[in-house]
Amino acid sequence: MFLRFVGQSIRRAPRRKAMAIGAVALGSAVATVMLGAMLEVGDRVNRELRSLGANLLVTPKSTSLPVVIGGIHYQPAAKDQFIPAASVPKVKSIFWSLNITALAPALNAQTAINGRDVPVEGVWFRRDLRAPDGTDIQTGLRTLNSTWKVAGRWIDDRTPDDRSDECMLGAALARRLGLEAGSTLNLFGETFTIAGILSTGGEEEDRAYVRLEVLERLTGRAGQVDAIEVGALTKPEDAFARKDPAKMKPAEYERWYCTPYISSIAHQIEQVLPMAVARPIRRVADNEGQVLNKIRGLMLLIALAALATAALTVWSVMATTVLERRYEIAIMQATGAGRAMIATLLGAEVAIQGALGGLIGALVGAQLSGAVSQSVFGVHGDAPALLVPVVVLLATAVALAGAAQPLRSALALEPAVILREGV
Amino acid sequence: MFWRFVLSAVKFRRRRLLLAFSGLAVAATLATTLLSVYSDIDRKMRHEFRGYGANLIVAPGLNSHSVPLAAVDEAERLGAVAAPFLYVVERVAQERLVVAGVDFRRAAPLTSYWHVDGARTAGPGECLAGSALAAHFRVGIGQTVPLASGPCIVRGIVSTGGPEDDRLMVPFERAAADAGFQDAASLIEVRADGPGKIAGQSRVQEVRAALAAAVPGVDVSVLYAVAETEANVVLKVKSAVFFLALAIFGITTLCVTGNFSALVIERSKEIGLLKAIGAAESKIASLFLSESLVLALASALTGYVLGLAIAYGIGRKIFSDAAVGVDFGVFMPVITVTLLVAIIATLLASSRIWRIEPAMILRGE
Repeated sequence: MFLRFVGQSIRRAPRRKAMAIGAVALGSAVATVMLGAMLEVGDRVNRELRSLGANLLVTPKSTSLPVVIGGIHYQPAAKDQFIPAASVPKVKSIFWSLNITALAPALNAQTAINGRDVPVEGVWFRRDLRAPDGTDIQTGLRTLNSTWKVAGRWIDDRTPDDRSDECMLGAALARRLGLEAGSTLNLFGETFTIAGILSTGGEEEDRAYVRLEVLERLTGRAGQVDAIEVGALTKPEDAFARKDPAKMKPAEYERWYCTPYISSIAHQIEQVLPMAVARPIRRVADNEGQVLNKIRGLMLLIALAALATAALTVWSVMATTVLERRYEIAIMQATGAGRAMIATLLGAEVAIQGALGGLIGALVGAQLSGAVSQSVFGVHGDAPALLVPVVVLLATAVALAGAAQPLRSALALEPAVILREGV
Repeated sequence: MFWRFVLSAVKFRRRRLLLAFSGLAVAATLATTLLSVYSDIDRKMRHEFRGYGANLIVAPGLNSHSVPLAAVDEAERLGAVAAPFLYVVERVAQERLVVAGVDFRRAAPLTSYWHVDGARTAGPGECLAGSALAAHFRVGIGQTVPLASGPCIVRGIVSTGGPEDDRLMVPFERAAADAGFQDAASLIEVRADGPGKIAGQSRVQEVRAALAAAVPGVDVSVLYAVAETEANVVLKVKSAVFFLALAIFGITTLCVTGNFSALVIERSKEIGLLKAIGAAESKIASLFLSESLVLALASALTGYVLGLAIAYGIGRKIFSDAAVGVDFGVFMPVITVTLLVAIIATLLASSRIWRIEPAMILRGE
């Protein structure tokens, strides 16, 4: 009887029900898009900000002070201070290894060209690396600094080759020497062909770059690197992150260790590379966090506004559907139906409409949110799977809440009053 | 007659109208807030990127070791922030170290990312020490570094994670005197903000071109990492806000439509009566429309005030103090949007008028 009543009601007035369901669906779709696409703006922007370059610098523990201006060493560094090249991949074995987006080891040297000292760096450009955690990644200077421009081409160094005769020059250095891509150049008494000219805007433009293993051979420092630049996705630092880990209680230390703060990632790198110190590059790391916090805050506020409006819409649409049926309610009451009975009947109908609209809206919204993140960020993001049931539940709850008030006022009035008044 | 209908509607249906009014006011508030934030987001976001410091570097050109200080004046004349830096190798006893000459006053906006213990500036006879340098020479704030060219008192310890950690920062004039530089620096850092004067070009590029033309013999280059990341992030946040705003407008229209539908339903009897005495449906619809336009104007004003307050709050709460500010110029767009929402909502709702059968309604069915 109960089911037949509800079924009949939906079958008799399909158009009106479809409109109510459509409205709920629209509201839920907006809510889903909001939650799915916009709340991950923070993560997307975080990745975008990684194009600023490394935010951590790993250098050997040192007893002497480096005397370096613009890449030129004015005092030879101690010979026994280096990071073994074999331990470089260990950076990818820390607890937050998935947050390490790129790492680039470098060996520094300098050589005289036309009577002027020129810094030469041995680096990975984009090396195939089997990380200790079993993943295959490509990493190096090129992955770390995606904004650098190159005239000519990048050196392809996916596999090591210490006999390669390719090098790359910074734009300022190339201008000074009057060289361009394709020219040859003498470094450390060997002839190199210039594969490409790098424009960065910074002091890197005054350097020459060769493969790491080539410079190791030329300088006789096989298996050594002087620095590792690391790019890591981090959580913006808060007051807790700035506490001294040495003074933390065990529970606090665990929480700090398991949060991807720049300081805890630096700490973990120092644990796997005991011969090195990892320092956050404040210019990049601090500002990243600051910009990220602002964007997260802004998006959260706007998303909340959108959610509130969506809820308001579902609410008012459902209120209207009950309002439309006051006459029906009065007749039911007049013919002896109890208030509880009527409330259950209408409640069931509203809940069905809410759930159905919510389901349609959530499914459409999940698709839409993918399209939105595609057009904003160029990455196809999938809405989390949990979102659909959550939105359906929310839509049903809000629909019921919206229907409750007009239903109560309709039930409170004498049926005779409503019937005399007309609909 | 026309106005009496409208006015009596306000009098008799106060509660229902209040609901419709608040629906429209929410729409207007959101429109004001979003438009105000949106129109200003460029400036606000770029302000946040100030912390990254310089986005232009003026370096010595071919066959030269220095940059003329005239470039600083030129950059400041162009409205950019500029500061000269000078690097020399000095000695403490037998040990070498790098001393950086910094124009602390000019450099302040470009070095906001420095973590400093103590003072951020040093006067004559004073200096700031990099954290690694301070640890190496075991000096703290207030102690003296016995530089070969004359001792200096450490006023602050600087930590940046960059090369500054290994250096001693002294006032620019002192470093210039020690190095024998006259009106010249090792390099000049420049920060140029905002969109360019010509549409589609950034201020950075304009300042770069102007500097290169005005100061011969130097290399002016854009720090791609800062300039491009900034542009990308600002663009993406802007388009995300745009999508959100679009979605919110759609949903508000729907919400107001719901309100107006309820209004029409509640007044079916009146409408039936009007129809019975021969009023055309379009006439009745126009009555509703004018009613909702009056409502829309009132709520646009309310929403405008509320929205500006919220936008100010967002500016205060989320963005830094200097970026607070609201855009009063959004009034016209807000009125337009609110009226548009009201019109669409009324038209959608008044489709019910055509469906009302006077005889049925008046009989009470």
